[in-house]
Amino acid sequence: MSNYIPTIGVEVHVELKTKTKIFSNSTNGYGQMANSLTNVIDLGYPGTLPTLNEEVINLGIKAATILNCKIRKVMHFDRKNYFYPDNPKNYQITQARTPIGYDGYVEINVNGESKKIYIEEMHIEEDTCKSAHRGTKTLLDFNRAGVPLIEIVTKPCISSGEEVKLYLEKLRELLSYGEISDCKIEEGSMRADVNVSIRKNETDPFGTKAEIKNIGSISNAKLGVEKEIERQTKLYDNGETFKPQTRRFDDKIGDTVLMRIKETGNDYRYFPEPDIPFVVLTDEMINNVVETLPMLPDERRKKYQELGISELNANKLVANRPLSDYMNTLLTEKTNHKIASNLLLGDISAYLNRTEKDIKETTLTKERFLELISLLEKETLTSKNLKDILDTVMESDTSIKDIIKEKGIENITDDTEIRNVIKEIISNNPDSVNDYHNGHDRAIKYLMGQVMKETKGKANPKLAMDILTEELN
Amino acid sequence: MKYLNKSITEIHELLKSKKLKPIDLVEEAFANIENNKEYNAYITLNKEEAIKQAKELESKEVDNLLFGLPIAVKDNIVTKGLLTTCGSHMLDNFVPIYDATVVEKLKEKNMIIIGKTNMDEFGMGSSSRTSYFGAPKNPWDKTKIAGGSSGGSATTISCRDVLFALGSDTGGSIRQPASYTGIVGMKPTYGRVSRYGLVAFASSLDQIGPLTKNVYENAVLLNAIVGKDEKDLTSARKKEEDFTRLIGEDIKGMKIAVPNYLMSDIVSPEIISKIKDTIKVLEKNGAKVDYVDVKYLDKAMTLYQIIAMGEASSNLARFDGIRYGHSKENPKDIQELYFETRAEGFGEEVKRRIMVGSYLLSGENAKIYYNKALSIRDDMKKEFINVFKNYDLIIGPTTTTTAYNLDDPMDDPLKSFMDDVLVIPVNMAGLPGLNLPVGFDKNHMPIGMHIIGNAFEEAKIYQLASFIEKELNLDLEPFGGENNE
Repeated sequence: MSNYIPTIGVEVHVELKTKTKIFSNSTNGYGQMANSLTNVIDLGYPGTLPTLNEEVINLGIKAATILNCKIRKVMHFDRKNYFYPDNPKNYQITQARTPIGYDGYVEINVNGESKKIYIEEMHIEEDTCKSAHRGTKTLLDFNRAGVPLIEIVTKPCISSGEEVKLYLEKLRELLSYGEISDCKIEEGSMRADVNVSIRKNETDPFGTKAEIKNIGSISNAKLGVEKEIERQTKLYDNGETFKPQTRRFDDKIGDTVLMRIKETGNDYRYFPEPDIPFVVLTDEMINNVVETLPMLPDERRKKYQELGISELNANKLVANRPLSDYMNTLLTEKTNHKIASNLLLGDISAYLNRTEKDIKETTLTKERFLELISLLEKETLTSKNLKDILDTVMESDTSIKDIIKEKGIENITDDTEIRNVIKEIISNNPDSVNDYHNGHDRAIKYLMGQVMKETKGKANPKLAMDILTEELN
Repeated sequence: MKYLNKSITEIHELLKSKKLKPIDLVEEAFANIENNKEYNAYITLNKEEAIKQAKELESKEVDNLLFGLPIAVKDNIVTKGLLTTCGSHMLDNFVPIYDATVVEKLKEKNMIIIGKTNMDEFGMGSSSRTSYFGAPKNPWDKTKIAGGSSGGSATTISCRDVLFALGSDTGGSIRQPASYTGIVGMKPTYGRVSRYGLVAFASSLDQIGPLTKNVYENAVLLNAIVGKDEKDLTSARKKEEDFTRLIGEDIKGMKIAVPNYLMSDIVSPEIISKIKDTIKVLEKNGAKVDYVDVKYLDKAMTLYQIIAMGEASSNLARFDGIRYGHSKENPKDIQELYFETRAEGFGEEVKRRIMVGSYLLSGENAKIYYNKALSIRDDMKKEFINVFKNYDLIIGPTTTTTAYNLDDPMDDPLKSFMDDVLVIPVNMAGLPGLNLPVGFDKNHMPIGMHIIGNAFEEAKIYQLASFIEKELNLDLEPFGGENNE
């Protein structure tokens, strides 16, 4: 097979996380009884008119900001006219001419190198209803009709299936963090269509495009693109051509199959929606919305690593939004952030998973957590002992000190008591003392073990080691 | 005893003093409608419900001028539980499950909806002859048209069946039939009245308005239906005002413009002469009347066709046989459902306008036609605003001729637009306009004067209209008050 240069563009639809639909006050919800979340507006009844859900515009501003887009201050909606049973008015209200965001980018990391995926535009529109085919009949569920969508269109600047995957992952992370969308591909709240063409040289005109639809997961997007590149390569290698077409990804065979050849000249008869006046945004409106944006993933990763947290843990934290938010409350605290991240990702995560709780539902206030970290740092509490008390720490309001006392696992921090024990151990183990003086490191570890054994693990290890070293010399 | 040809204030006093009950009015209205059946003003009567409502009102306090009064509603305004056909086979089985905002407002005032009036199919026409239910007839001469598209509403008011009717006006559909039938019809400023529940013809032009026998009652009904509606983003938030407040004031010093185009040879000499007579009355009473040139008036018709048909082609796309209305039985596929439902459901004129509208928005045409029309329309608005810098009101004739014969040929699609050539500019500019009867032609068919105001200055229009009404003191009852007994 020859090598061709792939040119890939991605169109992503995400459903916005609003309480109500974009043009009516019906609830925006998933998984409800068919047609229970509808009213006469969603059904396109005669005489009904759209209203405009402000939340949608706000989320549009947020998304545009996150995707580094320019924001259009004066915009309108357009009607896209086409007949289809899932399109109740037989026109879809969208933004064809004045998308809310344009000229943006998303940064992805390809093999350690940063690459910008350029966003052509992102616009607001309404979702269609869902159709299900039963034999010769088609059933329509209008719960989805009028759910707000944002469509994000990249420039044709993507060059591999892997990049498509990285882009979609990044987009999902960003839009979830911005609380713009759930981005659940399996529930259809994030849907990607990918356009793929290949050509021999950079200077050649773009090759014939195939659009892949119906992609059920991010890994399938990658696979679909790779398969499509392979398919087109074979065709070209055999001297064949093909027509612009729409293909769908078939889960069962793990490949794309032809849906339809694209007819040229789809005529949507766009015109400005006369029922919705122009939307005019001011800097103040935009700023008010942008201020509510949480810290974004890349900034979090950067901050965590600056505080001494490993790259691995930084990524793990960002992947777990509630824990990352919790971590963010500690950013300006003088504490050991490394221990904090280990705790959050280790014992605390395990506890939360086991009890199916959110960290906010526990009694682990910031103050208690800081105290815990400090005890661990001073080794007043060992990590083994932490395991014994963690449930209580997470579930009761009792102070950490009292919990430790109650459990009887308080470390012996009494200088004299430990010193007496150590003196006795030194006199009982002359061989090891000798070994120590002869430079055998193992010897001091053995002696420490004896100290712990004698104190049933309660000696503060740091203190014990200090005294032991002192006594030996 | 006959009440429904009395003034609203008289009836209101009688209701208040319990000398008259709403049920008496309702029964009289239905008797009138029965008497005047041949005029074909109604598509659906709301008999059972109206009687029930009238009886219920007996125990309620008569708390406003419109309380207990019957009203006719054009059949493109949706009424909960009451057939709403838009004059079309497409919706001849459509019983809405919701009320238009204006209907809610009428109900708040305890007005009683007596029935749904006849109209051109989906408002598309100027003689109501495109109605699936046959055309209404002109009460002044039953061989003549009542005008359209609100022909049924105009007819029932002209017949004095009831005091009040609602119509809708996209390109003259209230004012033109009001002119042909000798009544008062107001198209308010675009945004004054909520369009929620008005089945859309051309969304950027449609406006609901009142039809009545006199100016005062017109203003009273307008008071009841205006206001910002959260369900209609194009409705305007304005301070509450009483549209009757300037009625009775003199017109001394009022500055009035008469666009030369409206008095040009496109208008019949009889009408021009009647308007000139009226202008003399105005001048005699201290108004200053100037003839002025207003640019773009002659372009309004072309703009209207592009904008109205473009929008209509999209607005009427929802009638596909899937969720409501006419539906092709047992279609073999979705294609046939669409094609046959629409082929059977729509009449000729509607199909023609959908096709032309689709063409106008198609591909590059949207830029060449629709977008260009929108931009010239803005220029036209500015031109009107300029006139209103120097003048209080604009006047002219409402129509170029009086009502013509019902059996005149309908084979020239442009003719129906020409009927509205003088009233369309007002829709294009979103301004308020009112028809006032000012006399009769040699066949005793009514002639109407068109009074145009600046945006949201309906009160000023009513001031001038009521002044002329009083001065002329015409007998405007088509049957000399003899048909309804």
